[in-house]
Amino acid sequence: MWLPLLGLLLGLALGLLTDMQIPVVYQNYLSIAVLAALDTLLGGIRAQLQGVYDDKVFVTGFFFNVLLAAGLAFLGVHLGVDLYLAAIFAFGVRLFQNIAVIRRILLAKWDAHKNTAKNK
Amino acid sequence: MKRPNKKIFSRKQFVILIVFISVGFIIGYSYDLTKEKRIAGKVDSQQLVREDVYREELINQQERNKELSEEVDQLQQSIRANEKLLIEGQEHAEQYVKRAEDLRLYLGDIPSKGKGVRVLLEDAAYDPKHANPNDYIVHESHVFSVINELKIAGAEAIAVNGKRLNANSYIRCTGPVIVVDGQQFPAPFIVEAVGEQKTLSASLNLRGGIIDQLLHDNIVVTIEENDNIAMPSTNAEN
Repeated sequence: MWLPLLGLLLGLALGLLTDMQIPVVYQNYLSIAVLAALDTLLGGIRAQLQGVYDDKVFVTGFFFNVLLAAGLAFLGVHLGVDLYLAAIFAFGVRLFQNIAVIRRILLAKWDAHKNTAKNK
Repeated sequence: MKRPNKKIFSRKQFVILIVFISVGFIIGYSYDLTKEKRIAGKVDSQQLVREDVYREELINQQERNKELSEEVDQLQQSIRANEKLLIEGQEHAEQYVKRAEDLRLYLGDIPSKGKGVRVLLEDAAYDPKHANPNDYIVHESHVFSVINELKIAGAEAIAVNGKRLNANSYIRCTGPVIVVDGQQFPAPFIVEAVGEQKTLSASLNLRGGIIDQLLHDNIVVTIEENDNIAMPSTNAEN
């Protein structure tokens, strides 16, 4: 449990300390990458809770989603269509769905836990 | 199950760690970037405000410059006008100086010198036929008429026996002598006048003029044109 948290903190520190500048044009990609990362993260947590977690799927999903989102945004910029909106929309919807599923599972677990405590 | 136990953490945990580091990095980096942008935006707005202030100052300065250059134009024009006036004034000034000189001469404020005429009035020799000596001595009226004639003829300055006359001078008769401005003079009387010699002598010698009248009154008149007549100013003490 402490390992992912440690990793997150390490990543945050790295990100905050990095003094790299990227052009304004590419900042859309970054926002999409953030969304994709969050989505995959929550998807992984949901899968874990549902008992269908597979680290291969998780890892590939994470990187592939990030790259796909960035690629979509890139394409959108070059085609003159705001395709990154599609990515944001899709990821946003999935984010909420994942969170809803996690919430329900946690609620069900909590209820089950309470019941067993009562039964005892 | 043996392998994960040997290592500090399993492959699965390692993968999760990598993913979390990536997520953390992306989120942190994004946050950092947005923060910089916010700060940059603030700086931009400050710069905009400052730019506005500077622009306003610049506009004010330019307006002031415009006003000042207009003022310069006006001043230059007035200088030109004044210069023109000055030139005209200089042209006039010569005339004024000449006129002032004439007036000074007329008032007798300055000594006069130059060409002129000298009129000598002498009593006639004693004539026993005439019982009344008044008939053959020079009266102040004779001197008057000579002076008046000379003035009318344009004499610049007139003196009687070396006494300069001015506009306020008076001549009185006191028996055998005449008083000019409080100074007594006996005969013969010398009336000197500075001016155009020809005009002066011509006007004196007019037929039926002053000379004829004087001769008729038995007065010996001598008119002499002199190129160097000098007389003092009225203020000078004799």
